[in-house]
Order: sequence, then structure tokens, then C-alpha cells
Amino acid sequence: MTERIEVAEPTATSAPRGLWYRLGPIWSLVSLLVIVYFVTLINSFLGESVQVQLQYALVNLIIVVALQIFIGTSGVLSFGHVAFVAVGAWTVGLLTIDPELKRNLLPDLFPFLFDLNAPWLIAVLIGGVVGGLLALVVSPVLMRLNGLQAGIATFALLGVVNQVLTYWSSVGPRSGQSMVGIPDVLNLQTTMLFAMAAIVAAWLFQRTRPSRLLRAAREDGIAAASSGINVVSQRIIVFAVSGIVAGVAGGLFALTNRVVQSSQLNIELTFVTLAMLVLGGMLSLSGAVIGTLVFSLVDVLLVRLQNGLEIGAYVVTVPQGARAIILGLILVGMLLFRPSGITGGREFVWPFRKDRPLPGMPPTNES
Amino acid sequence: MIGQLVQSLVDALSAGATLGLAALAIGLVFGVIRLANFAQAEIITASAYCLIFAWGLGWYIAIPLSILVAIAMSLLMEFAVFSRMRSANPATLLIASFGLSFLLQRVYELMFSNNVRTAPVASGLAQTVEFAGIRIQLLSVATIVIAGVLLLGLNWFLTRTSQGLQLKAAAADFRTARLVGIPAGRVIALSFALSGILAAAVAFVLTVQSGAVGPTFGVQITILALVGAVIGGIDKISGSLAGGFLVGFVTSLLATWLPQEMSNFKDAYVFVLVIGVLLFKPSGLLIKGRGVART
Repeated sequence: MTERIEVAEPTATSAPRGLWYRLGPIWSLVSLLVIVYFVTLINSFLGESVQVQLQYALVNLIIVVALQIFIGTSGVLSFGHVAFVAVGAWTVGLLTIDPELKRNLLPDLFPFLFDLNAPWLIAVLIGGVVGGLLALVVSPVLMRLNGLQAGIATFALLGVVNQVLTYWSSVGPRSGQSMVGIPDVLNLQTTMLFAMAAIVAAWLFQRTRPSRLLRAAREDGIAAASSGINVVSQRIIVFAVSGIVAGVAGGLFALTNRVVQSSQLNIELTFVTLAMLVLGGMLSLSGAVIGTLVFSLVDVLLVRLQNGLEIGAYVVTVPQGARAIILGLILVGMLLFRPSGITGGREFVWPFRKDRPLPGMPPTNES
Repeated sequence: MIGQLVQSLVDALSAGATLGLAALAIGLVFGVIRLANFAQAEIITASAYCLIFAWGLGWYIAIPLSILVAIAMSLLMEFAVFSRMRSANPATLLIASFGLSFLLQRVYELMFSNNVRTAPVASGLAQTVEFAGIRIQLLSVATIVIAGVLLLGLNWFLTRTSQGLQLKAAAADFRTARLVGIPAGRVIALSFALSGILAAAVAFVLTVQSGAVGPTFGVQITILALVGAVIGGIDKISGSLAGGFLVGFVTSLLATWLPQEMSNFKDAYVFVLVIGVLLFKPSGLLIKGRGVART
């Protein structure tokens, strides 16, 4: 728990340094956006297959940002966010598949769903709304729980949503089948813009009252509650916001994958996205972004190595299947040797500024 | 009708017993070091692989070997990973065990391929016997017997031996247990070894049931066991057992008695139930009071 909670506004007398303190958070935002931009730019030179992989990585990035908004702010574990991703994907699937096609492929749908149609951008936004609404509806129940109990309850939510989507053919394909025919409209650049928008949204949200209050409660729940913070209601707000972001990510997943089936939106995705967040450091937005990008870049590299990568006169290969093992080792090693992640739960700050405590504040202590 | 009822009850009892054992294995370790070990799934898988590959050599080799492998894997996890993260909180430990589980699954994939391996393990148990007009699977009876014997043995161990009492004390309050001189490392290792034995029993039952083992063999039951342990009260050894049993029992009954179009959603009903239980008894059904579990 290393993040400094910014309470003291810099005074006018310390204007030059105060300016840096004001700009510090903006630098953290700008540097993240620049990193995302360059990673996208560099990798799009590496060929078609990498581009596809990268687009998935950017979609995952948005899911991880959604996870970070909730887990990082509240300190409560959630295995349930993929449920919001799933309903977002479902929404976009239902709204963008051609009505004629829908009638043939998904014959058991509620009749009103047949003619419902929306341009993909609107559909993605509606997906976000649906994800946020689901989060809002379940949150009064889930947000009362802490620790392991919260983890299990959110996991149970994922289980329920996944089963309903798998078997309820009135809102989707029959069990074992998938939704196909989602239009090919999303390219890498647009996905990158969405990822950047998610980062900006998360950054802005960090500066709002609910987020600050909840971070205070994360650091010391009893002290926060006795200062009059209603932890449950703050969590509900934050959970709903992260549900919106996850829903948007789900919509983008549908447009990227072009096929939606419930088995892809289950434990595996939950685990992979959580691993990315843990890798980067779950307490900071920078952690979410860096974790996802590092994980994805290592993955890109390993896929290339599996196919044989030429370095000068040598061809380097790793055996098939080693890729997932290496990714697993990286995660377990990170948890063993640096449990707070690559960023250690800190945001990027302006590189020239030493991280000194504000006057009048106790020095931040590592825990 | 009566026959069907008895049959479904026996099946539910055996499903509950299997899941109860799996949940108990998780609860034993959690009580001592606050780790909900999801990688228990891979201990079960390893033990099951062992049964499949060694069954040709005779059951008297395969079964002891599978138990040894389970204990060894369990201890190895403790020494290689979890003993190095003692100060982490339960949520981080859970994620670490997820990571370990994911890693081991991929290792199994590389070693044994993604396809299931099959062998007729204890095929004698797979038949059904007819008794007073009631058809009962021999395996269900065997499962209940195995669980009963293990639980009696464990109970004897925990209440009658010095090692067992130390473990029980550590599970009740680890810090105080250390203060009165209970050796921490040994008790922790003991809890891992016991959970390995329980995992081997679960692996045996599941392997006989399906006869086929793949890299993710143990995952499904471990998820349900974890859920069961938490709603029963993972803080208490008996709570984990009861919670696991309850989840297995209810799921099995729902699968038998719900009409087809509704039984698809049986896990969903169980999960809704789980959320409900957690809302009213967050620390578990068997824990007194409404307090949140110490973490």
C-alpha cells in the first residue's frame, strides 16, 4: 500500500514545486498514453498476425483497466468482472448481427430482439451501459463482502451469468453454439483509441470523490468508516463504473473476435486479466497498463519464438506449449519476489522529481 | 418412486462426500496459513494421472503411489512457493495459487498432451448392484465408505494424537499456537500432507467415475470445493467439510430432480444460493455470529 493519497492542495507560496505536484498526475496519464501509442505503432509493423494479437491485447487492456478501477481502488478482489465483459459482448452481438441472419442463426430469441439493430459504435456504448447496469444491480449484495468472501461471491456471479448466457436461448445462441456474423468494423487504430479513452476515463475517475474516499477506506477501513465514509455505497459507485468499462471492453471483444461464445468469456479470461493486473501492480493505473502490455508483448515474442525467430544466422525456437508455461512462471515468480507488481503500486511521476513526501505529511511507508 | 428417491439420495450423499473431502483439504491448509489453495486441483490431477498410468501394475502399486505423489506435490508446493509468501494476505495467496494452478496445467499439457488419458481404474466399482429393487452404483457406496473411514481417521488423528492436537490448535489460532511453542513449519507441512492424502482420495473417486484424465481434471471439483468451504466457514475445519458436502449434495439432487430445461441451470441456482449464504453469514454457515472472517 504505497500510494500517497493527495489531500493537501499545494499552497500558492510553494508555486514552482506546487506546479510540479499538480502536473505530476498529468505526466502519469500522458506517459501511459504515449506508451500505449508506441507499443501499438511499433508492433503494427511486425505483420498481420501480430496486429491481430495486439488488438486482443488492447481489448484485454480495457478489461484490466476496468478491474483496476474496482480492485485497485477498493482493495477488494473481484473474479466477476468477466461477467460484465460477457454481457457487453452479448449486447454488441445481438445489436450488430444482420437481422435476417439473426432470424436464421438464433431462432429462439425473444421476438423484439430480432429487429433491434444499432451501428457498432452505439452498440458498444450500449454494451457498456448494460455492463454497468448489471454491476449496479448486483452490487448492493456483493459490496458488503470483504476478502475471500468477496472473491467467492463475485466468482459465483460469473458462474451464474455464464450459465445463463450459455443455456438461455431467448437471449443468445443455443447451448454449445456461438454467435457468428458480427461485422468486421474494428481496426487496430480504433481499438487503440478506445484503450486510450479507457485510460483517460480511469485517470479522471481516480480524481473524483468516490474514488478518493474508497482508496482511504482501502488503506484503513475502520478509520474511514469512523470518519463518516459509507464504504458500501462508495464501492457500489466504483463497481458500477468499472462495470461500464468492462461492458465496453466486452463489446470490443465481440467486434475483435467476431464470434461470441460463453466458453471464451469465463474463468480463463478472468485468470489471464487478473494475472496481467497482478503483474503490473494492482494498486495503480500504471500497473494495469504496464502489466497488460508486458504480458502481451512477452506473449507476442513467445509466439514468434515458437514459430522460429531468426536472429542473425541463428534460428531461435521454443517448443510448443512452453509459451504458457513461461507466462505462468513469470506470474508466479512476480508474486514470489515482487508481490506488489512491476510498478509496485505507484503511478508514473515526472521522471526528474524525487518522490518526497509533501510537507506536513508523514513519509510514505512500504507495507 | 421410492427406489428412485433412495438412489438419488445415495448418489447425492456420495457427491457430497467427495466434495466434502475436497473442501476439507482446502480448509485444513487455510486454517493454518490463510491460503485457499486453488492449486489443490493440480494435486488431484497428478494423483489421477498416477492412477491411470500405474493401474496396469496392479492396484496395490497404483493406489499407494498416487497417495505418495499427492503428498509429495502438496509438500513441494508449500516449500517451493507458499512458504516464501507467509506475509501475503489471503487474496494475494489465492491469486498465487491460481497462478500455480495455471502453470501446472500447462506443464501437464506439455507432458501428457491435451487429450485425456484413459484406463479402466477399479472398473469393478463402476457396476450397479440391485438391492431390494433399488439400483445403486457400487462406486457411490465405496465413496461414502472411503469418506467415512478418512473422516474417522482424521478425527482420531486430530483429537487423540499430539501432532493432531497441535494442528488443530494452529488452525484455531496460529499466532497463539506459536506462542505456546508449537513448531510452525512442521504443523504447516503436516496440514499440506494431510490435504494431499484427501486429494488422493478425491482423485481416486473421480478417476473411477470417469476413467479419463486430462490436464484440467481437478479444476471443476476444486472450484466447487472452494465455494463450499467458504460458505460452510473456511475458518473452521468442520465448516469447510460441511459446506463442501452441502454444495455437492444440493447440486446432485438438483441434477436429478429438476426438469431437463431447468437442470441446465443447476450450477446457477447453487451459485445464487452461495451468494445468498455469503450475504447473511459472510463468515460461513458453521461460524457463530455475523462477524466477518479474520483475515
